[in-house]
Amino acid sequence: MNNLKIKKTSIRWVVALKEEAQIILEYFKLKAVDEKTIYPIYKNEEETHWLIISGIGRSNASASTAYLYLYSKASKCTSWINVGIVGSDKGNYGDLFLVDKISTDQGKKSTYPSTMPKTSLPKMHLYTSDIPITDYSTHELIDMEGSAFFDIASKLTSKEFICLIKVISDGPKNSIKEITKSKISNLIKDNLTKIIDVVSYYERLSEEEFQIKEKPKLFYDITSKWHFTATQSYKLETLLRRVEVFCNKRDLKEIIKSCETSNSVINVLNSKIKKNIVNWSKF
Amino acid sequence: MIETIYVEKAIKNHPRTKLILEKFKKSRIISINKYGEIFNKRNQNFRIQKTNPCLILAYKKDSFVLPAPKGFGIGSSNNFYFSHMYNCIYDCRYCFLQGMYSSANYVVFVNFEDFDNAIKKTIKNNNGSKITFFSGYDCDSLALENVTGFAKHILSFFKTYSQIEIEFRTKSIQKEPFLSMKPMQNVILAYSLMPELMSNSLDNKAPSISKRIRVISELASKGWKIGLRFDPLIFGQNWKELYRELLENIFKNITPNNLHSVSFGSLRFPKKMFKNIFKLYPKEPLFTSPFSLNNKMISYDIEIEEEMTSFCKNLSLKYINEDQIFKCSI
Repeated sequence: MNNLKIKKTSIRWVVALKEEAQIILEYFKLKAVDEKTIYPIYKNEEETHWLIISGIGRSNASASTAYLYLYSKASKCTSWINVGIVGSDKGNYGDLFLVDKISTDQGKKSTYPSTMPKTSLPKMHLYTSDIPITDYSTHELIDMEGSAFFDIASKLTSKEFICLIKVISDGPKNSIKEITKSKISNLIKDNLTKIIDVVSYYERLSEEEFQIKEKPKLFYDITSKWHFTATQSYKLETLLRRVEVFCNKRDLKEIIKSCETSNSVINVLNSKIKKNIVNWSKF
Repeated sequence: MIETIYVEKAIKNHPRTKLILEKFKKSRIISINKYGEIFNKRNQNFRIQKTNPCLILAYKKDSFVLPAPKGFGIGSSNNFYFSHMYNCIYDCRYCFLQGMYSSANYVVFVNFEDFDNAIKKTIKNNNGSKITFFSGYDCDSLALENVTGFAKHILSFFKTYSQIEIEFRTKSIQKEPFLSMKPMQNVILAYSLMPELMSNSLDNKAPSISKRIRVISELASKGWKIGLRFDPLIFGQNWKELYRELLENIFKNITPNNLHSVSFGSLRFPKKMFKNIFKLYPKEPLFTSPFSLNNKMISYDIEIEEEMTSFCKNLSLKYINEDQIFKCSI
């Protein structure tokens, strides 16, 4: 994959129901992709936001997360967001929570998602069940996808780039049987401002990480002119990153222009670093 | 402000856990089984965690006292270290912790008494030989003292072992518990230092060099033994002038009687560790330095290392004896 084509902000949404996704699709102007896909997939024009409708349950959440990763060519810099409704008797109908601990009825170890820092949004523990639960007393938030989403997403990126946002839809006072499609849509719609706020943090995170990981611009110019083996390419990338801190692009181009081989490019850059004496008053 | 504190279930009722949690009334407390569930797992981003680290309170099961690496010592035949904490509140760009751990969260072990027992056993096993213990190898030994109280605890332990040296290595300007105690001759308060200009760029979140020197001076004047640790020595433009100015300023401010030792160490990273750190901070000016790879270690060229060490050593010899100067060569 050509790295130049990677978009600087990269968000992937995994949402169980179309009704939960509706307002997100509208706000971020996401349109269904042209091809036929296993799960419905939407993206914006810039291809910075992609959303998949996973359907209900852990298997669907796992499979769709992995599928979206491959289909959308997500990277290590991509942030992953799961938005959905949950049952709870610890909060009120319509309240939004971030998740910082997940347990399951599979008897597996708990997992601990990071949450965005310095937020006033409340946090709770999530319990992911394979069957709908109406006894809300033993857990804080209950859903059917969260743990599977987190397990797969945390294999695709660092856990700091993963976020679970949950909105309470049912509880002892609001029967699960009374949930309707329009109620679900409204629950997410009513929390849209908060969701956008959270997502903007993850957009920034993704962009910053991209800027750190992005190969130096000169790397592409140089590798198109000389042939580099995989080991040499790695060396070149590292050297360029180091040299770029104290030497501008034009000067760099000038010093390597007479090089005849990839080896001599590396040697020239190496000797540039060998001669560098850091001027600490500049930093 | 620590937003989240993870607490191992086994120590949730430990008095020290309660004492620490009392200091963070606004933090969110999350119960865990083992600190390994959070700390140093794969797929964590050290750089991002460092912007908002969590605290993990845990119970240490073993490896309380470990032999210090060869080349890490200040004159004793047997050197050991212990760490009541993993990670540091400071963010120094040359620190090996950022390449060693994948997690920037702080782990604090609350079972201090098990450290006491392990230290006692080590002293007994090395009866007759000169021993030095080092606190603050996997952390800064004093930086979180107002939260953990570990230094205060271990000082009272070492009161009964006056022949055994303990060094607290730090960049902190934490003066307690030392100011409220009578100085102990077997305790060395060792401060990591470098020229202010370099420190301003490299010692992120750490107290300034001038603040450190003020505290060194105050503690020395009260009778505490001071260690000066120029480790790592940092190369750059005008390094001779910068180090001369720093050394003269320090020696001018400390009564020589209370200067225990001075050590110099070179900047060195195991190759893999350097790779990890460089990935986190590729635009860091430090990494534009003229490094070489020798025996799987990334360091300044040997000529630079030797010139810097001998220059600083010769300057120090104006103020202290040769037997007080050590080279840290790990």
